[in-house]
Amino acid sequence: MYHGKLPELLPDAGTLRNLWVTAVRDVGRGVRVPGIDECLLEVMRLPGARGAAVVDWTSGLALGTTGESPNGDHEATAAETAEVARMAAEQPAFALPPPGGAGGPRPGPPVEDVIITTHTGYHVLRFVETAFDSSVFLYLWLDRAEGNLALARLRLGEMAERLVLA
Amino acid sequence: MRPLTAGPDEDARHTTPSPMLQRLAAERATGALLRDRGTLYLADGQVVHAESPATPGIDILLTTGGALRHEGWWDAVAQAGAGQRVARYLVDSGHVPGGALELCHLGALYDAAFFALAPTRTPARFRYGVSHWIGPVRPVAVDAVQRETLRRRELLDRIWPDALTDTAPVTRTAYPLDAPVPPRQLRVLELADGVRTASDIARELGRSAFHLLVDLRRLAAAGLVEAVGREAAPGAAAHGLAALPETADPDVALLRRLRDALEAL
Repeated sequence: MYHGKLPELLPDAGTLRNLWVTAVRDVGRGVRVPGIDECLLEVMRLPGARGAAVVDWTSGLALGTTGESPNGDHEATAAETAEVARMAAEQPAFALPPPGGAGGPRPGPPVEDVIITTHTGYHVLRFVETAFDSSVFLYLWLDRAEGNLALARLRLGEMAERLVLA
Repeated sequence: MRPLTAGPDEDARHTTPSPMLQRLAAERATGALLRDRGTLYLADGQVVHAESPATPGIDILLTTGGALRHEGWWDAVAQAGAGQRVARYLVDSGHVPGGALELCHLGALYDAAFFALAPTRTPARFRYGVSHWIGPVRPVAVDAVQRETLRRRELLDRIWPDALTDTAPVTRTAYPLDAPVPPRQLRVLELADGVRTASDIARELGRSAFHLLVDLRRLAAAGLVEAVGREAAPGAAAHGLAALPETADPDVALLRRLRDALEAL
C-alpha cells in the first residue's frame, strides 16, 4: 500500500517496528473535536452577529466562514480584511513593548484586535496566537443596532484562545 | 523557469490550474493525484491532504514552533500511522489541540496545493484508492483549492511581478535598511544568504512556503532582496538568439524559441 511521502523527521528502528504492530488496531475510531467550525458557531451566538470567519492574513485565505459577508462573497471579504490585519500587525507604532519593559518579547503580532465601526455595523478582527508559525485572525461582522461591541470583543478574545488551547 | 509576465501563464491564470482535478472531483474519486511538483490526496472527490517537496510538512510546522515535541510526533506515527489516523491521534492523545491542528493542517494543505498545481508540462497521474497516513482532518472542495491557487498567483504578481525569488537562491542587495521592515520579514532577510531558496528558509523557520514567497516578493519590491544568478540567464539567452536561423518567413517554432529566450531574460 502506498502511504505517500515519508515524514521528514526520521524515526528510530523501534518506532518503525511499532508502527506496523500497533497501528492496525486504530482503524474505525473517530469523533469530531472542537475546531474551526465549532468556534465559528460559538461566535455566531453573540447578539447581532451577522457573519464570521477564520482568515490567514499573509495570504488572505478564508480557512472557515459562516453566516453572511458584507460584500456577499466570503473569499473577497477575507482578502480585504486580511490586508487590514496585516497593516495593523506590521506597523511599528503598534509594536511598542509594554511600559516598564515587563514580560519580554512575546511571539505573534503585538496587536490584539482591530475594530472598524461603520454606519451599520462593527467589524472586529481578533488575532489568534498559535504555538506554531501562523498569521491567523478571527473576523466578526456585528450589526450596529443589535450588537454589543464590548461583549463581542471580550468573547472573541476568549474564543481566539479556546480555538487553539481547548 | 516560470515566465515572468505574459505568455502561456496568461491563459492558465484564467482557467483552472488542473482540469484533471476537476474531473476527479466530479466523479467523487478517492486516490492520489501525482503532479510534477507535489501530490494531492482526494477522498470522495474532496482534497484531504497535499504535499510538495517545496513546502515544509505538518510535522516540521508543528515541531519547529514548539507546538509539538519530536517524540510526540513519532508517538503518533507509531500508534496511528499504519491505521492512517495520525492527525486524529495527535488530537485524541492531547498532543495538539483540535483547532490548532485544523489551522496548521489547512495551512499546509493549501500551501502544498499551490506548488503542486504550478504550471507544468509533465502529465499528471492519478492512483485510485490511495490514501495518506495523516488521516482525515478537514476536507476542502476541489473548487476552493483551484480558486485559491489562482488567487495566490495573482497576489504574488500584484506585490512584485518577478517570480525569480520564488525558486532561486536569494540574497540581500546593497540597499541599506532605510525604512522599518516588519519583524517577520526581517527574519527572512537574515536568512537570505545567497545559498538558501524560499523553500529552504520556510523549512528553517517552520513557516508556510507560500508565506515565504509573499515575504520575499515584498522584500524584492522594497529593493532589499534579489535572486542569485540573475546575470547567468541573459548569457544563455543571447547564445540561443545567436543560433537562430535567418528566414524570410518565421515559423511558429522560431517564434516560440524567441519567446522562450525573451522570457529567460
